[in-house]
Amino acid sequence: MKSIDLDKIKAAWKNEKAFESFKLSEADIQGFLGKRSKDISQLFRTGLFMDLVLKSLVGISLIGILVIFRENLNLILVVSAILLGLLGAIRYQWRMMGKIPEGNIPDPVIRTSLENKILFYHRHYKKALYVGALSNSLLILSGMLYYFYFKYGEIRPFQWDDYLVFGATMVLGFVIGAFVQIKQLNFQIKQLESCLKEIDEETISTITLRDQRNKKRRMIFIVLLALVCGLLLLAYFIFR
Amino acid sequence: MIHERTHQHFLELIHKHQSIIHKICFVYSNNRPDREDLQQEIILQLWKSFPSFQESSAFSTWMYRVALNTAINQTRRPGLLIDTSSSPEIPYDPSDSYQLSEEIQILFRAISKLKKVERAIVLLWLEERSYEEIAEAIGITVKNVSVKLVRIRSRLAELISKFQ
Repeated sequence: MKSIDLDKIKAAWKNEKAFESFKLSEADIQGFLGKRSKDISQLFRTGLFMDLVLKSLVGISLIGILVIFRENLNLILVVSAILLGLLGAIRYQWRMMGKIPEGNIPDPVIRTSLENKILFYHRHYKKALYVGALSNSLLILSGMLYYFYFKYGEIRPFQWDDYLVFGATMVLGFVIGAFVQIKQLNFQIKQLESCLKEIDEETISTITLRDQRNKKRRMIFIVLLALVCGLLLLAYFIFR
Repeated sequence: MIHERTHQHFLELIHKHQSIIHKICFVYSNNRPDREDLQQEIILQLWKSFPSFQESSAFSTWMYRVALNTAINQTRRPGLLIDTSSSPEIPYDPSDSYQLSEEIQILFRAISKLKKVERAIVLLWLEERSYEEIAEAIGITVKNVSVKLVRIRSRLAELISKFQ
Protein backbone atom coordinates (compact mmCIF):
# COMPACT_ATOMS: atom_id res chain seq x y z
CA MET A 1 0.00 0.00 0.00
CA LYS A 2 1.29 3.45 -0.97
CA SER A 3 1.93 5.96 1.81
CA ILE A 4 -0.53 8.87 1.50
CA ASP A 5 0.33 12.38 2.62
CA LEU A 6 -3.04 13.74 3.75
CA ASP A 7 -1.62 17.20 4.35
CA LYS A 8 -0.72 17.33 0.64
CA ILE A 9 -4.32 16.39 -0.20
CA LYS A 10 -5.55 19.03 2.21
CA ALA A 11 -3.43 21.61 0.37
CA ALA A 12 -4.84 20.40 -2.98
CA TRP A 13 -8.35 20.79 -1.55
CA LYS A 14 -7.56 24.35 -0.49
CA ASN A 15 -6.21 25.25 -3.92
CA GLU A 16 -8.93 23.51 -5.96
CA LYS A 17 -10.20 26.18 -8.34
CA ALA A 18 -13.12 24.10 -9.68
CA PHE A 19 -15.16 24.70 -6.50
CA GLU A 20 -15.52 28.31 -7.59
CA SER A 21 -16.61 27.30 -11.08
CA PHE A 22 -19.90 25.68 -9.96
CA LYS A 23 -21.75 28.98 -9.95
CA LEU A 24 -25.42 29.44 -9.20
CA SER A 25 -26.86 32.81 -10.12
CA GLU A 26 -29.01 34.77 -7.66
CA ALA A 27 -31.97 33.83 -9.88
CA ASP A 28 -31.13 30.11 -9.48
CA ILE A 29 -30.94 30.52 -5.70
CA GLN A 30 -34.23 32.45 -5.72
CA GLY A 31 -35.78 29.58 -7.70
CA PHE A 32 -34.89 27.08 -4.95
CA LEU A 33 -36.69 29.12 -2.30
CA GLY A 34 -40.08 28.35 -3.80
CA LYS A 35 -39.54 24.54 -3.78
CA ARG A 36 -40.88 22.04 -1.26
CA SER A 37 -38.64 20.71 1.49
CA LYS A 38 -37.97 16.95 1.66
CA ASP A 39 -36.76 17.07 5.26
CA ILE A 40 -38.27 14.47 7.59
CA SER A 41 -39.81 17.21 9.77
CA GLN A 42 -41.67 18.37 6.68
CA LEU A 43 -42.76 14.78 6.09
CA PHE A 44 -44.21 14.66 9.64
CA ARG A 45 -45.97 17.98 9.04
CA THR A 46 -47.42 16.95 5.67
CA GLY A 47 -48.59 13.61 7.09
CA LEU A 48 -50.38 15.31 9.98
CA PHE A 49 -51.90 17.93 7.72
CA MET A 50 -53.24 15.32 5.27
CA ASP A 51 -54.73 13.38 8.16
CA LEU A 52 -56.40 16.53 9.50
CA VAL A 53 -57.97 17.09 6.09
CA LEU A 54 -59.15 13.46 5.92
CA LYS A 55 -60.55 13.60 9.46
CA SER A 56 -62.40 16.82 8.67
CA LEU A 57 -63.94 15.19 5.57
CA VAL A 58 -64.97 12.16 7.61
CA GLY A 59 -66.46 14.54 10.21
CA ILE A 60 -68.50 16.33 7.53
CA SER A 61 -69.74 13.03 6.12
CA LEU A 62 -70.76 11.87 9.60
CA ILE A 63 -72.70 15.10 10.12
CA GLY A 64 -74.45 14.22 6.86
CA ILE A 65 -75.34 10.82 8.38
CA LEU A 66 -76.85 12.58 11.40
CA VAL A 67 -79.05 14.65 9.11
CA ILE A 68 -80.08 11.70 6.91
CA PHE A 69 -80.92 9.34 9.79
CA ARG A 70 -82.29 12.00 12.14
CA GLU A 71 -85.23 9.73 13.05
CA ASN A 72 -82.94 6.93 14.28
CA LEU A 73 -82.10 7.89 17.87
CA ASN A 74 -79.67 5.03 18.47
CA LEU A 75 -77.65 5.89 15.40
CA ILE A 76 -77.63 9.58 16.33
CA LEU A 77 -76.21 8.74 19.74
CA VAL A 78 -73.50 6.47 18.32
CA VAL A 79 -72.48 8.84 15.50
CA SER A 80 -72.44 11.80 17.91
CA ALA A 81 -70.11 9.88 20.21
CA ILE A 82 -67.85 9.05 17.23
CA LEU A 83 -67.91 12.72 16.17
CA LEU A 84 -66.83 13.80 19.66
CA GLY A 85 -63.97 11.30 19.51
CA LEU A 86 -63.07 12.59 16.07
CA LEU A 87 -62.94 16.17 17.35
CA GLY A 88 -60.61 15.01 20.13
CA ALA A 89 -58.40 13.28 17.56
CA ILE A 90 -58.31 16.42 15.37
CA ARG A 91 -57.30 18.51 18.39
CA TYR A 92 -54.60 15.97 19.27
CA GLN A 93 -53.16 15.97 15.72
CA TRP A 94 -53.29 19.77 15.57
CA ARG A 95 -51.33 20.08 18.83
CA MET A 96 -48.87 17.48 17.55
CA MET A 97 -48.08 19.72 14.57
CA GLY A 98 -46.81 22.37 16.96
CA LYS A 99 -44.41 19.89 18.55
CA ILE A 100 -42.54 18.98 15.35
CA PRO A 101 -38.87 19.85 15.91
CA GLU A 102 -37.23 22.39 13.61
CA GLY A 103 -33.71 21.03 13.12
CA ASN A 104 -31.91 24.20 12.22
CA ILE A 105 -33.28 26.71 14.69
CA PRO A 106 -31.65 28.63 16.31
CA ASP A 107 -28.12 27.24 15.94
CA PRO A 108 -27.88 23.66 14.74
CA VAL A 109 -25.88 21.10 16.63
CA ILE A 110 -26.06 17.91 14.61
CA ARG A 111 -26.48 15.59 17.59
CA THR A 112 -29.26 17.69 19.16
CA SER A 113 -31.11 17.92 15.87
CA LEU A 114 -30.94 14.14 15.32
CA GLU A 115 -31.99 13.45 18.92
CA ASN A 116 -34.96 15.81 18.66
CA LYS A 117 -36.26 14.21 15.49
CA ILE A 118 -35.78 10.61 16.64
CA LEU A 119 -37.31 11.24 20.07
CA PHE A 120 -40.25 13.15 18.56
CA TYR A 121 -40.92 10.20 16.28
CA HIS A 122 -40.76 7.58 19.05
CA ARG A 123 -42.51 9.59 21.78
CA HIS A 124 -45.20 11.41 19.82
CA TYR A 125 -45.40 10.73 16.12
CA LYS A 126 -46.01 6.98 16.30
CA LYS A 127 -49.06 7.63 18.50
CA ALA A 128 -50.18 10.19 15.96
CA LEU A 129 -49.89 7.53 13.24
CA TYR A 130 -52.26 5.21 15.13
CA VAL A 131 -54.67 8.09 15.71
CA GLY A 132 -54.28 8.89 12.00
CA ALA A 133 -55.01 5.31 10.94
CA LEU A 134 -58.37 5.52 12.75
CA SER A 135 -59.44 7.90 9.97
CA ASN A 136 -59.41 4.92 7.57
CA SER A 137 -61.78 2.90 9.77
CA LEU A 138 -64.11 5.87 10.22
CA LEU A 139 -64.03 6.56 6.50
CA ILE A 140 -65.07 2.95 5.85
CA LEU A 141 -67.84 3.21 8.47
CA SER A 142 -69.12 6.43 6.97
CA GLY A 143 -68.97 4.98 3.43
CA MET A 144 -70.83 1.90 4.62
CA LEU A 145 -73.65 3.96 6.12
CA TYR A 146 -73.97 6.03 2.94
CA TYR A 147 -74.01 2.81 0.90
CA PHE A 148 -76.98 1.55 2.91
CA TYR A 149 -78.76 4.85 2.56
CA PHE A 150 -78.38 5.09 -1.23
CA LYS A 151 -79.03 1.41 -1.89
CA TYR A 152 -81.82 0.63 0.60
CA GLY A 153 -82.84 4.02 2.05
CA GLU A 154 -82.36 2.54 5.55
CA ILE A 155 -79.98 0.50 7.66
CA ARG A 156 -81.06 -3.10 7.26
CA PRO A 157 -80.65 -5.70 10.01
CA PHE A 158 -77.27 -7.45 9.94
CA GLN A 159 -76.51 -11.17 9.81
CA TRP A 160 -73.44 -12.52 11.65
CA ASP A 161 -71.40 -12.64 8.43
CA ASP A 162 -72.17 -8.95 7.76
CA TYR A 163 -70.65 -8.09 11.13
CA LEU A 164 -67.61 -10.15 10.22
CA VAL A 165 -67.10 -8.58 6.78
CA PHE A 166 -67.66 -4.95 7.81
CA GLY A 167 -65.79 -5.34 11.10
CA ALA A 168 -62.82 -6.97 9.36
CA THR A 169 -62.78 -4.25 6.68
CA MET A 170 -62.61 -1.53 9.33
CA VAL A 171 -59.89 -3.29 11.30
CA LEU A 172 -57.95 -3.92 8.08
CA GLY A 173 -58.29 -0.26 7.11
CA PHE A 174 -56.74 0.69 10.45
CA VAL A 175 -53.97 -1.90 10.42
CA ILE A 176 -52.90 -1.31 6.81
CA GLY A 177 -52.97 2.48 7.25
CA ALA A 178 -50.81 2.34 10.35
CA PHE A 179 -48.50 -0.40 9.03
CA VAL A 180 -47.61 1.30 5.74
CA GLN A 181 -46.78 4.62 7.36
CA ILE A 182 -44.84 3.11 10.24
CA LYS A 183 -42.86 0.90 7.87
CA GLN A 184 -41.94 3.89 5.71
CA LEU A 185 -41.00 6.15 8.59
CA ASN A 186 -39.09 3.41 10.43
CA PHE A 187 -36.92 3.05 7.34
CA GLN A 188 -36.09 6.76 7.43
CA ILE A 189 -35.72 7.03 11.21
CA LYS A 190 -33.29 4.09 11.19
CA GLN A 191 -31.00 6.16 8.96
CA LEU A 192 -31.04 9.01 11.51
CA GLU A 193 -30.51 6.55 14.37
CA SER A 194 -27.44 5.13 12.69
CA CYS A 195 -25.99 8.67 12.44
CA LEU A 196 -26.70 9.27 16.12
CA LYS A 197 -25.12 5.95 17.00
CA GLU A 198 -22.11 6.98 14.96
CA ILE A 199 -21.77 10.23 16.93
CA ASP A 200 -22.17 8.71 20.35
CA GLU A 201 -23.23 5.22 21.35
CA GLU A 202 -24.59 6.46 24.69
CA THR A 203 -26.83 9.22 23.34
CA ILE A 204 -30.03 7.23 23.58
CA SER A 205 -29.55 4.67 26.30
CA THR A 206 -30.63 1.10 25.84
CA ILE A 207 -33.11 1.56 28.68
CA THR A 208 -34.84 4.45 26.91
CA LEU A 209 -35.11 2.45 23.69
CA ARG A 210 -36.54 -0.56 25.54
CA ASP A 211 -39.08 1.72 27.28
CA GLN A 212 -40.10 3.15 23.92
CA ARG A 213 -40.63 -0.34 22.49
CA ASN A 214 -42.75 -1.41 25.47
CA LYS A 215 -44.82 1.76 25.29
CA LYS A 216 -45.34 1.17 21.56
CA ARG A 217 -46.60 -2.39 22.14
CA ARG A 218 -48.94 -1.20 24.91
CA MET A 219 -50.26 1.55 22.68
CA ILE A 220 -50.99 -0.82 19.75
CA PHE A 221 -52.81 -3.19 22.11
CA ILE A 222 -54.94 -0.43 23.68
CA VAL A 223 -55.89 1.12 20.34
CA LEU A 224 -56.82 -2.24 18.80
CA LEU A 225 -58.84 -3.20 21.88
CA ALA A 226 -60.66 0.15 21.82
CA LEU A 227 -61.37 -0.25 18.12
CA VAL A 228 -62.83 -3.74 18.48
CA CYS A 229 -64.94 -2.70 21.52
CA GLY A 230 -66.14 0.38 19.64
CA LEU A 231 -67.13 -1.72 16.64
CA LEU A 232 -69.04 -4.22 18.75
CA LEU A 233 -70.81 -1.44 20.66
CA LEU A 234 -71.69 0.35 17.44
CA ALA A 235 -73.04 -2.81 15.85
CA TYR A 236 -75.07 -3.55 18.99
CA PHE A 237 -76.69 -0.11 19.09
CA ILE A 238 -77.47 0.02 15.39
CA PHE A 239 -78.73 -3.47 14.75
CA ARG A 240 -80.14 -4.79 17.99
CA MET B 1 -39.57 46.52 2.63
CA ILE B 2 -37.58 44.96 5.51
CA HIS B 3 -38.45 41.49 4.19
CA GLU B 4 -37.24 42.46 0.72
CA ARG B 5 -33.96 43.77 2.14
CA THR B 6 -33.46 40.56 4.16
CA HIS B 7 -34.24 38.52 1.09
CA GLN B 8 -31.72 40.40 -1.03
CA HIS B 9 -29.12 40.21 1.74
CA PHE B 10 -29.67 36.43 1.94
CA LEU B 11 -29.29 35.97 -1.82
CA GLU B 12 -26.05 37.96 -1.82
CA LEU B 13 -24.61 36.00 1.10
CA ILE B 14 -25.48 32.63 -0.43
CA HIS B 15 -24.14 33.71 -3.79
CA LYS B 16 -20.88 34.76 -2.17
CA HIS B 17 -20.45 31.61 -0.03
CA GLN B 18 -21.98 29.06 -2.41
CA SER B 19 -18.80 27.01 -2.74
CA ILE B 20 -19.59 25.66 0.76
CA ILE B 21 -22.86 24.25 -0.58
CA HIS B 22 -21.16 22.66 -3.59
CA LYS B 23 -18.49 21.03 -1.43
CA ILE B 24 -21.10 19.59 0.93
CA CYS B 25 -23.19 18.34 -1.98
CA PHE B 26 -20.16 16.55 -3.46
CA VAL B 27 -19.37 15.02 -0.07
CA TYR B 28 -22.91 13.79 0.60
CA SER B 29 -24.24 12.82 -2.83
CA ASN B 30 -22.86 10.25 -5.22
CA ASN B 31 -24.64 11.37 -8.38
CA ARG B 32 -25.95 14.46 -10.07
CA PRO B 33 -29.70 14.21 -9.31
CA ASP B 34 -28.99 13.62 -5.61
CA ARG B 35 -26.57 16.55 -5.60
CA GLU B 36 -29.20 18.84 -7.11
CA ASP B 37 -31.81 17.69 -4.60
CA LEU B 38 -29.45 18.26 -1.69
CA GLN B 39 -28.43 21.66 -3.04
CA GLN B 40 -32.09 22.68 -3.15
CA GLU B 41 -32.77 21.35 0.35
CA ILE B 42 -29.74 23.13 1.83
CA ILE B 43 -30.68 26.48 0.29
CA LEU B 44 -34.26 26.04 1.49
CA GLN B 45 -33.18 25.21 5.05
CA LEU B 46 -30.71 28.11 5.06
CA TRP B 47 -33.52 30.46 4.08
CA LYS B 48 -35.88 29.04 6.72
CA SER B 49 -33.18 29.36 9.38
CA PHE B 50 -31.90 32.75 8.22
CA PRO B 51 -33.95 34.76 10.77
CA SER B 52 -32.05 32.93 13.53
CA PHE B 53 -28.65 33.85 12.12
CA GLN B 54 -26.85 36.20 14.49
CA GLU B 55 -24.57 38.66 12.76
CA SER B 56 -22.10 38.32 15.65
CA SER B 57 -20.94 34.95 14.29
CA ALA B 58 -19.32 34.35 10.91
CA PHE B 59 -21.84 33.61 8.16
CA SER B 60 -19.69 30.81 6.74
CA THR B 61 -19.55 29.04 10.14
CA TRP B 62 -23.33 29.26 10.52
CA MET B 63 -23.78 28.15 6.92
CA TYR B 64 -21.58 25.09 7.44
CA ARG B 65 -23.59 24.09 10.48
CA VAL B 66 -27.01 24.44 8.86
CA ALA B 67 -25.89 22.82 5.61
CA LEU B 68 -24.16 19.87 7.30
CA ASN B 69 -27.14 19.39 9.57
CA THR B 70 -29.41 19.31 6.53
CA ALA B 71 -27.16 16.86 4.67
CA ILE B 72 -26.94 14.47 7.63
CA ASN B 73 -30.69 14.65 8.26
CA GLN B 74 -31.44 13.78 4.63
CA THR B 75 -33.00 10.34 4.49
CA ARG B 76 -33.79 8.09 1.59
CA ARG B 77 -37.37 6.89 1.23
CA PRO B 78 -38.16 3.23 0.82
CA GLY B 79 -39.27 1.99 -2.58
CA LEU B 80 -42.70 0.43 -2.86
CA LEU B 81 -41.53 -3.16 -2.93
CA ILE B 82 -38.00 -3.04 -1.58
CA ASP B 83 -36.72 -4.71 1.54
CA THR B 84 -36.62 -1.88 4.06
CA SER B 85 -34.42 -3.72 6.51
CA SER B 86 -31.27 -2.76 4.64
CA SER B 87 -30.11 0.36 2.81
CA PRO B 88 -27.96 -0.48 -0.22
CA GLU B 89 -25.04 1.80 -0.98
CA ILE B 90 -25.35 4.06 -4.05
CA PRO B 91 -22.13 3.86 -6.11
CA TYR B 92 -20.10 7.01 -6.67
CA ASP B 93 -20.75 8.51 -10.10
CA PRO B 94 -18.06 11.00 -11.18
CA SER B 95 -19.81 11.99 -14.45
CA ASP B 96 -20.35 15.64 -13.54
CA SER B 97 -17.20 16.17 -11.48
CA TYR B 98 -14.91 16.33 -14.53
CA GLN B 99 -13.99 19.93 -13.70
CA LEU B 100 -12.36 18.80 -10.47
CA SER B 101 -8.70 17.78 -10.42
CA GLU B 102 -8.01 14.05 -10.39
CA GLU B 103 -6.67 14.22 -6.85
CA ILE B 104 -9.91 15.75 -5.57
CA GLN B 105 -12.03 13.29 -7.55
CA ILE B 106 -10.19 10.43 -5.83
CA LEU B 107 -10.68 12.19 -2.50
CA PHE B 108 -14.46 12.42 -3.08
CA ARG B 109 -14.56 8.77 -4.10
CA ALA B 110 -12.80 7.87 -0.85
CA ILE B 111 -15.07 10.14 1.21
CA SER B 112 -18.12 8.47 -0.35
CA LYS B 113 -17.10 5.27 1.46
CA LEU B 114 -17.21 6.98 4.89
CA LYS B 115 -20.25 7.22 7.16
CA LYS B 116 -22.29 10.43 7.26
CA VAL B 117 -20.86 11.95 10.44
CA GLU B 118 -17.33 10.94 9.46
CA ARG B 119 -17.84 12.86 6.21
CA ALA B 120 -18.83 15.98 8.18
CA ILE B 121 -15.73 15.72 10.35
CA VAL B 122 -13.46 15.21 7.32
CA LEU B 123 -15.00 18.14 5.52
CA LEU B 124 -14.55 20.48 8.48
CA TRP B 125 -10.99 19.23 8.89
CA LEU B 126 -10.26 19.87 5.19
CA GLU B 127 -11.70 23.36 5.62
CA GLU B 128 -9.23 23.91 8.47
CA ARG B 129 -11.86 24.38 11.14
CA SER B 130 -10.56 24.11 14.70
CA TYR B 131 -11.27 21.04 16.82
CA GLU B 132 -13.44 23.25 19.03
CA GLU B 133 -15.57 24.30 16.06
CA ILE B 134 -15.92 20.71 14.86
CA ALA B 135 -16.87 19.56 18.37
CA GLU B 136 -19.46 22.33 18.68
CA ALA B 137 -21.02 21.62 15.28
CA ILE B 138 -21.31 17.87 15.84
CA GLY B 139 -22.15 17.99 19.56
CA ILE B 140 -19.21 15.97 20.91
CA THR B 141 -16.15 16.76 23.03
CA VAL B 142 -12.87 18.10 21.60
CA LYS B 143 -11.14 14.92 22.80
CA ASN B 144 -13.69 12.84 20.93
CA VAL B 145 -13.05 14.86 17.75
CA SER B 146 -9.35 14.20 18.07
CA VAL B 147 -9.86 10.45 18.56
CA LYS B 148 -12.33 10.23 15.68
CA LEU B 149 -10.07 12.23 13.36
CA VAL B 150 -7.12 9.90 13.92
CA ARG B 151 -9.28 6.93 12.93
CA ILE B 152 -10.97 8.72 10.00
CA ARG B 153 -7.69 10.02 8.57
CA SER B 154 -6.21 6.57 8.67
CA ARG B 155 -9.26 5.10 6.91
CA LEU B 156 -9.23 7.92 4.35
CA ALA B 157 -5.54 7.36 3.56
CA GLU B 158 -6.24 3.67 3.11
CA LEU B 159 -9.14 4.36 0.72
CA ILE B 160 -7.21 6.96 -1.31
CA SER B 161 -4.31 4.55 -1.66
CA LYS B 162 -6.74 1.92 -2.92
CA PHE B 163 -8.29 4.24 -5.53
CA GLN B 164 -5.03 5.79 -6.82
